[in-house]
Amino acid sequence: MNIIQSRFGEIEYDPQAVLHFPQGLIGFEDLRDFVVMPNEKDGPLFWIQSVEDAQVALVLTDPTNFFLTYKVEPEAHERKVLGMEAEDKWHALVVVTVDTNHNVTLNLVAPILFAPHSNRAIQVILEDSGYSIQTPLPVVEQAAATTLKAEKSEKTVAQG
Amino acid sequence: MLVLTRKVGEGIIIGDDVKLTVVEIKGGTVRIGIDAPRDKKIYRQELYAQIMAQNRSSTGWSLEDLSLLSGTISRKAEENK
Repeated sequence: MNIIQSRFGEIEYDPQAVLHFPQGLIGFEDLRDFVVMPNEKDGPLFWIQSVEDAQVALVLTDPTNFFLTYKVEPEAHERKVLGMEAEDKWHALVVVTVDTNHNVTLNLVAPILFAPHSNRAIQVILEDSGYSIQTPLPVVEQAAATTLKAEKSEKTVAQG
Repeated sequence: MLVLTRKVGEGIIIGDDVKLTVVEIKGGTVRIGIDAPRDKKIYRQELYAQIMAQNRSSTGWSLEDLSLLSGTISRKAEENK
């Protein structure tokens, strides 16, 4: 086990288990290795702490918790960076921003694609996607919630 | 900075594998066509800068934020299911 400093104190981590960004994150191109930190409370949020820079930690979430139809597929060169074989799975994650008023937004324009098999990740930019880099969490009306529920079960069946 | 003058339909070659073509000039807007390998990252500069700024401003959260938000966010995620 290794120990690093962070804004939140000392963190002990397994160097074999770090999440590796071969190209860094946008704006943090030099930071390649991150420790995945579980949230102490239940819920869809978790965070990653840079091994190389104590000041850099980002909150991430799976956007399909909130936007069920959100889908990003890695392109061929991104698959290569992720070290993915044809059948390997991936997950899209997004960066969560909490502003000084505790407002929460998701950056749906620049998702992080994560390949569990290689433990690698890459942040990509979706040009002309129509998404916002500061997408507020959806306000769910009862009717909308029902529709979304139906969509999700269809999706589950389709992925079967 | 190298500055070149081009007319519509003319192009610029960069290295072995990037070719820029001026497609259209209209008012103050220039449309540029880019031929490059898929693995070359090509973004509009302001979009890249916005994402860089957004990533940077996403590092300012506190553990208290995370703890407070987890409750409300879990409820939202549940509602979505």
